[in-house]
Amino acid sequence: MKLTTEQFNALAHELDSVKQQVQQQLGDADARYIRRVLLVQRLSALSGRVLMVLGFITPWLWLFGVLLLALAKILDNMEIGHNVLHGQYDWLNDPVLHSRRFEWDIACDAGSWQRTHNFEHHTYTNIIGKDRDFGYGLLRLSNDFRWRLRNLWQGGTYLVLSMLFQWGVSYHELAAQRVFAGKKKTDRHSQVTDRELKQAFFGKGARQLVKDYLFFPLIAGPMWLWVLTGNLLANLIRNLWTSTVIFCGHFTKDVHVFTAAECEGESRGQWYYRQMLGSSNFTGPTWLHILTGHLSCQIEHHLFPDIPARHYPAMAQQVQAIAAKYGISYNSGSFLRQYSTVFWRIMRYSLPGGDTAVKIST
Amino acid sequence: MLANQPSLTLYLLPLIQRLWPGFLPGLYRASLLSQQWQTPDMLLLTLKVSGRWPGFVPGQHIVLTLKHNGRYLSRPFSICSSLKRWQSQRQIQLCCKINSMGEFTPLLAQLPDNTLLNISQAQGNFYWQQPALPAVFIAAGSGITPIAAMLLSQRHWLAPVILYYRCRGPENAALLTELNQLAASQPMFTLYLSDSSTEPAGSWQQQLAGDVASKQFYLCGPAGFMQQTRTALLKSGVTAGHIQQEQFGLTMPAVVIAAPGNQPLSGHFISAGISKTVLLNAQQSLLQNAEEHGLNARFGCRMGVCFQCVCDKVSGQVRDIRSGALSGHGVEQIQLCVSQPVTELVIKL
Repeated sequence: MKLTTEQFNALAHELDSVKQQVQQQLGDADARYIRRVLLVQRLSALSGRVLMVLGFITPWLWLFGVLLLALAKILDNMEIGHNVLHGQYDWLNDPVLHSRRFEWDIACDAGSWQRTHNFEHHTYTNIIGKDRDFGYGLLRLSNDFRWRLRNLWQGGTYLVLSMLFQWGVSYHELAAQRVFAGKKKTDRHSQVTDRELKQAFFGKGARQLVKDYLFFPLIAGPMWLWVLTGNLLANLIRNLWTSTVIFCGHFTKDVHVFTAAECEGESRGQWYYRQMLGSSNFTGPTWLHILTGHLSCQIEHHLFPDIPARHYPAMAQQVQAIAAKYGISYNSGSFLRQYSTVFWRIMRYSLPGGDTAVKIST
Repeated sequence: MLANQPSLTLYLLPLIQRLWPGFLPGLYRASLLSQQWQTPDMLLLTLKVSGRWPGFVPGQHIVLTLKHNGRYLSRPFSICSSLKRWQSQRQIQLCCKINSMGEFTPLLAQLPDNTLLNISQAQGNFYWQQPALPAVFIAAGSGITPIAAMLLSQRHWLAPVILYYRCRGPENAALLTELNQLAASQPMFTLYLSDSSTEPAGSWQQQLAGDVASKQFYLCGPAGFMQQTRTALLKSGVTAGHIQQEQFGLTMPAVVIAAPGNQPLSGHFISAGISKTVLLNAQQSLLQNAEEHGLNARFGCRMGVCFQCVCDKVSGQVRDIRSGALSGHGVEQIQLCVSQPVTELVIKL
């Protein structure tokens, strides 16, 4: 790494003070904001479900209902769920917005997600072999992974993964623990038993399936097929959106990856440094930021995962200035530009060869 | 189940709160009618409580919740008003000691009239168990509040009752007017006021003149005072079964004292309803402490990032290892991996 120990300490100090400034401001405005988002989410979910049934008047109402439900699911997943589960709003002591009690409208059990995402992904961001979010064990995204024949069609694998993203997220922890298939890894220690994992996976998954594809179609009576199709579509839209946002956060062309060896015993400054290089931002209007749960500011999210996300765009300006000061590259661009480089990466590494982590980060 | 929330009420909460401000599931609404300073640091709050609130036994306490700067904050307080007041007017009164350094109580003094608050059901086992037997009540400072509720609620006086009320002079005696009125109108009731700045703590013993054997004792006050009084009572021949005391809320230290690094503090960890008491090392995080004593705490990153080790602190104070910030003393969520003990703690794992 290029910076000296003193520089790393100074970097940590500067980023800590950015965080502290925001922490001191937290208060009523944040509380009102997130409760308003929650209200919009509830209203669009309820009205979306009602409008779908009213599709017999004109299919346009149905379509509008589908879009509203998709919006509700996206808000629940991103701006509310993701951020609440990071503990961003624990300080409110709100019965609905606390990371310990929150459960969201996707197939993945909230507890399982906290273990894999909050811990594994956020602690070991983009470390090859430790952060399984890097390619999800399905995609080859750097030359640190041996090329296999199946990588040849990983463009298709990616499309399927995106369409079924919530199930991929849900299966993530079970795959790590080799619950169903594969040899147990001796270096992995789970805090929960395989049985609990299966229970969480099937329990939450079944609940979601029953809700969207059995219960709501059934109470819609003759409109059951419309409601079922509408729910399927809303889930599909949400899956594609979240997958796209998350891929843009870590798999853009210029994002850095790391080896476990170079991250051993890293200081707080080095951890910050890796978070900055391992993430990428994209720019856009406020509504776009909200729909991504402010993961459009993935760099800031990785630096300050427990700060309420609405502060990220403002913090991004300070972080970018700090990055420039220390000569750390700050990966940001328009949504389309970033997404096209993600696509490039998936396609590039479907063929043998390419750069490895060591090459990229030094 | 449909809402991915424990109950439909919680799912609909954002909508319900729009229509019915101040609604919180499991709690009752109460509006603030008036605030009145009883002494320089004791504030009497009069609340109009919701008709749905199921009532209380004099001596019990409630948990008061208010919203400040977007956050819900809660603290327990004993009810100090009579049962009659609630029955006839749906009002209760809380006499709160305002700690100007505290996080919660100074807010009470600033609340505008008609503020909507939330109260819990009444709770606690401190009540007048046998009104037919002679009784001695011993209160110190704000410990008067549950005892005042018991005395002011009593309708049929069957046996002589003595209240020994200890505080720093009459100007610091909360609820004194009500108690004096009671003493004037009720011959069975005697009030002794003891000035803690001039009289020794054990002066009640002379006033009782050794006649303690047949009486029931009710104690409420600061932890040190109660411990001392209890020991003296047991020594003078009172059986433990005749002493009732309110532990609750008053055992917490009023002043923040950062524990010197090597002094062990005791921590009570409650897991699945079973409490285990261990000695805490103030140099280490609570997570390390818990693990060293074989307690099964959930954890993740061990650096304050992932929020898997968040759990409920019931009482006591902790320090955030990263920022050095001190927490409050009441109920709140903390991250075990970045919290060090500062005072004695009760934690729900």
